[in-house]
Amino acid sequence: MAINVNTVYTTVLSILNKEQRGYLTPFEFNQLATQVQLEIFEKFFEDYNQYIRMPKTDVEFASRMDHIRDEFQIFEENKNASSVSGNVYDPPTSPAIHRFGSAFFTRAKGNPEIHIVTRRDYHEQILSPLTQPTINNPIGIYHKDKLTVYPEVASPAVTDVKFNYIRKPADVVWAYGVDSTTGAFIWSGTAGAPTPFIPSTGSVDFELDDSQQTEVIIGILKYAGVIIRDPQIVQSATQLSAANEVNTKR
Amino acid sequence: MGLITETNAQYYSGQQVFNGITGNDIVCTFNTDLVATVANVSNSNYSVTKNGVLLTETTDYSLSITDLNKITFTVALISTDQILVTLNQPAINSNYGSYEYISILDVVNNFMFAYVGMDKLIPRCKKSDIIFHAKRGLQEFSYDTLKSVNSQELTIPPSLSIPIPQDYVNYVRVSRIDESGVQRIIYPVNNLTTSPKFLPIQDVNGIPIQDSFGENNEANQSITEERWNEETQSNITGEFEDNDTNVYDWAWWKLNFGQRYGLDPQTSQGNGWFQINERLGTFSFSSDLANQVVVLEYISDGLAYDVDSKVPKMAEDALYAHINYSILSTRANTPEYIVQRYKRDRAAKLRNAKIRLSNIKLDEIVQVFRGKSKWLKF
Repeated sequence: MAINVNTVYTTVLSILNKEQRGYLTPFEFNQLATQVQLEIFEKFFEDYNQYIRMPKTDVEFASRMDHIRDEFQIFEENKNASSVSGNVYDPPTSPAIHRFGSAFFTRAKGNPEIHIVTRRDYHEQILSPLTQPTINNPIGIYHKDKLTVYPEVASPAVTDVKFNYIRKPADVVWAYGVDSTTGAFIWSGTAGAPTPFIPSTGSVDFELDDSQQTEVIIGILKYAGVIIRDPQIVQSATQLSAANEVNTKR
Repeated sequence: MGLITETNAQYYSGQQVFNGITGNDIVCTFNTDLVATVANVSNSNYSVTKNGVLLTETTDYSLSITDLNKITFTVALISTDQILVTLNQPAINSNYGSYEYISILDVVNNFMFAYVGMDKLIPRCKKSDIIFHAKRGLQEFSYDTLKSVNSQELTIPPSLSIPIPQDYVNYVRVSRIDESGVQRIIYPVNNLTTSPKFLPIQDVNGIPIQDSFGENNEANQSITEERWNEETQSNITGEFEDNDTNVYDWAWWKLNFGQRYGLDPQTSQGNGWFQINERLGTFSFSSDLANQVVVLEYISDGLAYDVDSKVPKMAEDALYAHINYSILSTRANTPEYIVQRYKRDRAAKLRNAKIRLSNIKLDEIVQVFRGKSKWLKF
């Protein structure tokens, strides 16, 4: 489940405002929140790689590998190609590909995976009569953000190829309306919040799983400490983050 | 879920009925993929009737190019329409008994699923590598393990030669079919004669003559083959004829008759001879077989045609073991004891497959053994 942007913002403000350490504007918060979300998101894949190489457990709720997959599954997409010309398929654009995973050929029974090879491997492979690409064993070259699929089929369509990929998380936005009496910023999700909202598109929650809430808050605090020039905050946040990291990788 | 996905009607009569369908499309679920008529490429393997009336392909319906087995009708169906899709007889026949086999594609997919992946002995492997080893395994198994004997019934033309079949790898047996339909085995000529591969034309000094390109000139006819074709077979086989009763006639070829030294069992048969003529790419037969019906049984490598690429289920495990061993033994840094384990595993499973496929049935052996008390006459 996603992390509520208002919960994070109010928590960060509470910590920062303690002993009047400083104030973080909504604009600054939105930028930091987006940056922290991206950092944590990118770290998923490195962590996932590490967990794969570590001893594993199948005990329910204890598997780090399953847990981390749960955390980034929300960003996984499976969509048709956006356009096609001959046997060259363009990847989906909405949402755009951030990390290409795999591609599947829907023209064959069971939608086999398109085996991605380098151009050199392709030329080697087609020289062997036993390993010629077929619709049941398609191969592809992913080059310059386009997928060239072999064998070429008659009447190509965008539905021929399905891309499995990771998209980028949406930017985090804490939108607000301004109270006409007090001038206070009221979160757009509050019942009866004054309009118009700033920005007008409204709030966007963190897309990360709520198990990452602590990490998100610590991450934002770390950057907020830099902004408000408080080394103590930076130090505390960094220590907390490091301790958390050590615990999860032990 | 069971492995059989067809209904009885689909399997036995090759028919699938669609009732209450609206719209333009139906999708058939035969084991056999539908094939459309494409000029100079393929003939359709099915027909379609609507409410008992035979429809015409392309005019009334067409097979989807993008979606497998999807038939699109020109006129939208209404719920009271009854559509009957019927496979043609060859397609039905080729599907009969298909449960005995597993396709090479399924073998590869099963292997990828069960033997390749994280925490397995083969953590990752290119699918094309597995396809390569699976196909090589199928080729090797075809030669001595699988029941992949093809056969052709042929009539020997006056030229006494028939071309080697397109998917031929080696022969199993060549037989003449007599008037009763009984097959009589024809034997290879072995050392009786030969078919020379090259026929260089020589000058008076015996030196081959070359053409303007510097290549040897070749004769069109082999003298050896001409003489063999004109030979009277009884001279070789020792077949006894009434006019050969003079036991004091010592012509050399009559020595084969057994009057003096007995018959040579190797050549004492009257079914005829064959040889493989590598120069012409043909099976050549002895002249007594002209206009006779012969059956040529041969093995292929199981990869010649798509439909061939199927593995008897009794050898399925042996093929997995073969792929496993082939991949592990060619992979760097695999401990030798693992390689050896899988080598033994492959050998044991291949032996099992051979025993299973040799089709030894106790009752049939008992029947053969019933002749144990019969006297053998030499």
